[in-house]
Amino acid sequence: MWKYLMPLAFVAAPVAAQDVGPFSEGSEARSWNLAWEVPAFFEAEVVDMLCEVAGDCDNACATGRQLGLLRAADGVLTYPNKNNQGIFTGAAVDLEPFCGMQVEVDGLMIEDEFLGATNVYLVQRIREVGAEEWVTANGWTDAWAEQQPEAAAMDGRWYRNDPRVLAELERDGYLGTGETWQEAWDITR
Amino acid sequence: MRYGLAAALICAAAPAFAQGEEVQIRGEVIDTWCYFSGVMGGPDAVQGTAHHTCAIWCSAGGIPVGLLGDDGTVYMILAIGGDDQSASGQTQLELASHDITVSGQHFARDGLNYLVIDAVVEDHGITNINHTDFGAVPGFAIPNPEG
Repeated sequence: MWKYLMPLAFVAAPVAAQDVGPFSEGSEARSWNLAWEVPAFFEAEVVDMLCEVAGDCDNACATGRQLGLLRAADGVLTYPNKNNQGIFTGAAVDLEPFCGMQVEVDGLMIEDEFLGATNVYLVQRIREVGAEEWVTANGWTDAWAEQQPEAAAMDGRWYRNDPRVLAELERDGYLGTGETWQEAWDITR
Repeated sequence: MRYGLAAALICAAAPAFAQGEEVQIRGEVIDTWCYFSGVMGGPDAVQGTAHHTCAIWCSAGGIPVGLLGDDGTVYMILAIGGDDQSASGQTQLELASHDITVSGQHFARDGLNYLVIDAVVEDHGITNINHTDFGAVPGFAIPNPEG
């Protein structure tokens, strides 16, 4: 019986190996059902990416610059590409209050060798080392609403009402190549 | 002695910029999360005209933009022409999906490639016409004009 089951176990092993990684212990990250996601909970310093990578530190941690996580355990620079919101939003706004601080983060690491994705991170929650309470990384839309109160008061998601997005779509259309709204709709059906 | 001290002070005051590799690269400005995560499908579907609207959303939303080089390498863009607004910045927003040739500094760190763009040498426009293969990605990117 076992000799028939063993090959199945080997076939199944690579799939199971995607479920955990070296920083998965203690993680309570919610799955996004991404092919190459791995839960990752670790301690890190929040750093300014342009400063850390290129030494351009004059405006380090200023609003609008990307922020990274310099992992304490191994010194690896991880890049939070995404926050916890499911709506096209990055992580810099959520990390900015912690810039320069030691934090714990929990989320999903993306490791896809085929595409060159490594140390790419989706941060779901953050807290300063020693703090009890976690901060959920859901801050982008609130920050946007403060900057764009008129757009935020309209019906619909932020990306349907954002004036900068609408200006780009007005200029070049939904496909970027000048088709009208109706034309873009028709040719993509 | 005096000159030596002055030189030392000048060196100390100068910005401590790291020296990257001087490069000139041509590629498409993409949103890196959709490309790396596969959240909306395969890599060929999350670029070009098919993904243009989503690329705008993600750029405006603060997701890092990258340059997908002709050789398939993704370069995470940290600045463009002195504009350091790499999270939701206007310069990068206006280049979403564009095929551009850039000059700048290349850095590699812990498996990822980074680019500090000194100048956009040429903007070739949007050249990856792939909505004919994939439609709009995601499918709801283009709302029904009739409501």
